[in-house]
Amino acid sequence: MPHKVVVVAVINRKSKRCHLKEYLTKSFDRLRTNGNVLSPSATLRRALSNQERDQQPVGWVGAVPTQHLAIGVGSRKDATQAMCLPCVGVRTSPQPTKFVRSLKKPDGIPLQALTAAALLLPGLLSPVAHATEGDEVDFQYSHYQEGKRGISSAVSDPLTGENTVSGIKNSLNPIEVESLHGSAKITLTDRIKFAFNYMQDTWSGATPISTAPAVFGGNSQLFSANGATVVGASPYLQGVNQVLLDRKLNPVQYVFPFDPTSGLIKNNQLTHILASASPETRKQGDFKLSYEWDEAALSVGGGISLEDDYESRFGNIGGRWDLNQKRTTLNLDLSYTNSDTHAVLDHDAYSYIDSTAYRLNGQLETLKNQPKSNILSGNRQDWATHFGLTQIINKDALVGADVSYTRSTGYMANPYKAVNVVFVDPDPTLQSNNDNPPGIFSGDLRALLEQRPDVRNQWNLGGRYVQYINALDAALHFDYHFSADDWGIQAHTFEADWVQLLGSGWTVTPRVRYYSQDAADFYTPWLVTKQGFKSKSDANGKPIGLPYDPSKLPANFSSDQRLSGYGALSGGVTVTKQFAKGLSLETGFEYYTHQGSFKIGGGGEGAYADFDYWAANAALKVDLAALSLGGGGGHSHTGHEHHNHGVHAPAGVMFDHMLPNAGDFMVGYRYMYGNQGGDMLHGAKPISDQAIVAGGCGLNPCFVKPASMTMNMHMLDIMYAPTDWLTLMLMPQFMDMGMTMDRLGGAPPDSVANNNTDNPVNPNGERLNIGQHIAHHVQNGHETGGIGDLGMYALFKLFDNGIHHVHVTGGLSVPTGDVNIQLRRNHQIDGGFIHYGMQLGSGTWDFKPSLTYTGHIDQFSWGAQANGTVRMAGKNKSGYALGELFQATAWGSYNLTNWLSASVRGVYTLQGGLKGQFNGLINQFGPMDYPENHGGKYWDVGFGLSAVVPSGDLAGNRVSVEWLQPVEDNVNGYQLERDGALSATWSVAF
Amino acid sequence: MKLAGLVAKLLLLTMGVLLIGCVPVQPWERGNLAKPQMALDPNPSQSALWTHNYGSREAAAGGNAAQGGGCGCY
Repeated sequence: MPHKVVVVAVINRKSKRCHLKEYLTKSFDRLRTNGNVLSPSATLRRALSNQERDQQPVGWVGAVPTQHLAIGVGSRKDATQAMCLPCVGVRTSPQPTKFVRSLKKPDGIPLQALTAAALLLPGLLSPVAHATEGDEVDFQYSHYQEGKRGISSAVSDPLTGENTVSGIKNSLNPIEVESLHGSAKITLTDRIKFAFNYMQDTWSGATPISTAPAVFGGNSQLFSANGATVVGASPYLQGVNQVLLDRKLNPVQYVFPFDPTSGLIKNNQLTHILASASPETRKQGDFKLSYEWDEAALSVGGGISLEDDYESRFGNIGGRWDLNQKRTTLNLDLSYTNSDTHAVLDHDAYSYIDSTAYRLNGQLETLKNQPKSNILSGNRQDWATHFGLTQIINKDALVGADVSYTRSTGYMANPYKAVNVVFVDPDPTLQSNNDNPPGIFSGDLRALLEQRPDVRNQWNLGGRYVQYINALDAALHFDYHFSADDWGIQAHTFEADWVQLLGSGWTVTPRVRYYSQDAADFYTPWLVTKQGFKSKSDANGKPIGLPYDPSKLPANFSSDQRLSGYGALSGGVTVTKQFAKGLSLETGFEYYTHQGSFKIGGGGEGAYADFDYWAANAALKVDLAALSLGGGGGHSHTGHEHHNHGVHAPAGVMFDHMLPNAGDFMVGYRYMYGNQGGDMLHGAKPISDQAIVAGGCGLNPCFVKPASMTMNMHMLDIMYAPTDWLTLMLMPQFMDMGMTMDRLGGAPPDSVANNNTDNPVNPNGERLNIGQHIAHHVQNGHETGGIGDLGMYALFKLFDNGIHHVHVTGGLSVPTGDVNIQLRRNHQIDGGFIHYGMQLGSGTWDFKPSLTYTGHIDQFSWGAQANGTVRMAGKNKSGYALGELFQATAWGSYNLTNWLSASVRGVYTLQGGLKGQFNGLINQFGPMDYPENHGGKYWDVGFGLSAVVPSGDLAGNRVSVEWLQPVEDNVNGYQLERDGALSATWSVAF
Repeated sequence: MKLAGLVAKLLLLTMGVLLIGCVPVQPWERGNLAKPQMALDPNPSQSALWTHNYGSREAAAGGNAAQGGGCGCY
């Protein structure tokens, strides 16, 4: 290991140092040290050669948290040896000299980390595009999983009539979220950086709608077909019978008829009332553009988040200023967010929840053409500002402090949450019901949509301390924040992280966090009000005024547990492994538990509201600047701009090229979009609605048809070549799908669906009333999303003479994608499986062979591929197997310039039909729900463009796009025709 | 907001004490501060994920929607 260079020198301070510093500042941004030596960028070379000419001492650099380049000098001679510094190695000689440096993550340059950290402080501007600092592309997948919540209800003893409260079985799936996050940071010019983030979440599962005393029976039990076993619970928000309270307004349980000897037993046990949701997907994209001066930076950014019922647009500007030789850094940020809620109220719950207040203030409207659609709209605006300061205290520690203020106005309530209110009418004639035991009030249990104030001012202040532990080469981070707002919520957050480097590129960071908050002033699990509930409506059913006197209720009320008093403890660990060549893998895990009893000072919500979750994630980070190693230095495989190896096929072709040299790495991202829409086909011809009704659904009539089906797939190709004749590839994928449906003209009435041959029969011999679900399918559409099947492939080179290349691929698809996604219960009837095309994977282990030929001469290249998919099981765990697939494709492409090429392609696909069928309930309303309407033969023609960065820091990055236009579809049975597919890929080789 | 005032004063006091302990750190002594584990946010993509999860379940983090995270409220 080369020796460290002497540091001290006195040089002509102002002029030379500023000059040198400017060069070094700029060049330093480019230098990357990942265990390999870098070729110095042009500016540094220029700087150093100036110095060489002048025979002046030359500078070396070290990165410091506040971006101040530690300028020290050594002699020119010393500079030619590799420097051993924490963050940088500089080589001036043409021969690469390998040296081992202390480990540094590609994005660890603290200057930018400051800005990023400032933006990350909770309650604040969050990580919309981290401060750009090292060209990098990241992909992250995460899974969030809550534990099942405990629920209780009133349980009647059939013999004694006594109703007691006990926990009941919760068969509703807890909340589960699958997320995908991709981000890129690119340096556009010396001083301008651009960062872009995309993320999407798909979530499903059960959440609380409201809270009520368990004795009121809000979670009604579901029994098995023979009435013997409890199989689950269903929300039941409103009492059909009267509920009973004692004189102190405590809920009571009692024996019916009333037994004076056992008396009135008070039971204050509360329970959440849970309702489940079908999967929904949210997508967000945001960007940040920043400009750097020597001691300051300015950034501007914005983004948009979209989901079915909520749309949010935001913009922010921020500045950073370094003082005091960069020992002190100040940050100031400002952001604005404007969000619209457009929520279709839960149809099932709608009749049980009173939303008159919203209808009267104009926020709730009913769509005229779909009478069951009630849409609640609201708008919300947030202004936030944040100020932060970071100060280096000594050579091993720094401290930060920040304060932020947020003002939110508008509609801030949750349209899916209600508060149970018991209306006790003091009118004595109503209270003197002889059936009721003496000494109690009888009340009317209702649920009202929650109401929150329309202004919220929130302050957040706190600090952070980071200490380096020399003996262990680790750092301790400690963070405290305090938050207070005018809703009465005060919260404390304590966090501690220990970042421990372990050598060989490993870093482990255990972490612990404790959070505690007070309840909001208007938080209440449930309410009692001394008035009657009297609906008044006119001849058309339109409400006249509120059915109650609002002055006797609080102006605002919410049972949302985000506003309750509780404490939360969480702990986790992150493990990072940095590989050579700028690739690093990161994986993290966290477990979090929310408990009322953990609140600081006590008085938190009861144990009924406790829940926990765990979250795990995996990320791949690609350091683009590491490419400049391969590009500039002595490696021979530079530049996919040359044809010699890896001629690239159009974007829609997979397994089209191999890595030419042992030890090569390649990372690629592929996005595929596919859409179906337009006519329904039978075979190759469009078909009328009446024909579909009669023939599309086997023995049953059809009621609906798909109107559009969209699929988005995100795939990561990670390739590694252990030898030059074998390339291994791992391909995880994440997908989301959506569909909408239309009613078929000429279909029989919905109730006829109850006679479907597969419709379950209840113990009384009656068919389940599944026909009620049809309206929901048409009104809401379906969405699914999450991780898909994982592909593992090995590509073997059979022949390559520089012009022609043939390779064969053997692949295995691992069934990691869900095949048992279900719709939520509606009208107390299960929704059943979402149809075959919306499940995320095949559910079976599949063998995927393919044979590929490519050739090129001068500006032309061409190729052909045959590939297949063979299912290795007759059925998956849901009872069916997708059919076999065979595909043949051929293409030609022409280089328009040295960086751009265009291609044309033809594809023939034969998709075998589905085997088996769902082994559980599926509501069969349209042709897509039947297995015989899957598979077919398809012809497409594709047009593509491919561009590669020929030189510079980003050399070797390739971006391709291809549009596949369907030419002919010949489908099995009755299916929706295809509109087309788009493929877009980005790849970079190391 | 008495508690808020108290917390603010405590923070200021702590900061003051820490800042008094400031020693001038010369550029060539900043080696340790430059290490990746000393970055104010050593794992930015992890922090982004945590903030997103906490924000969907806690009142303080979700106070403003500048992160634009939709309702993401599950």
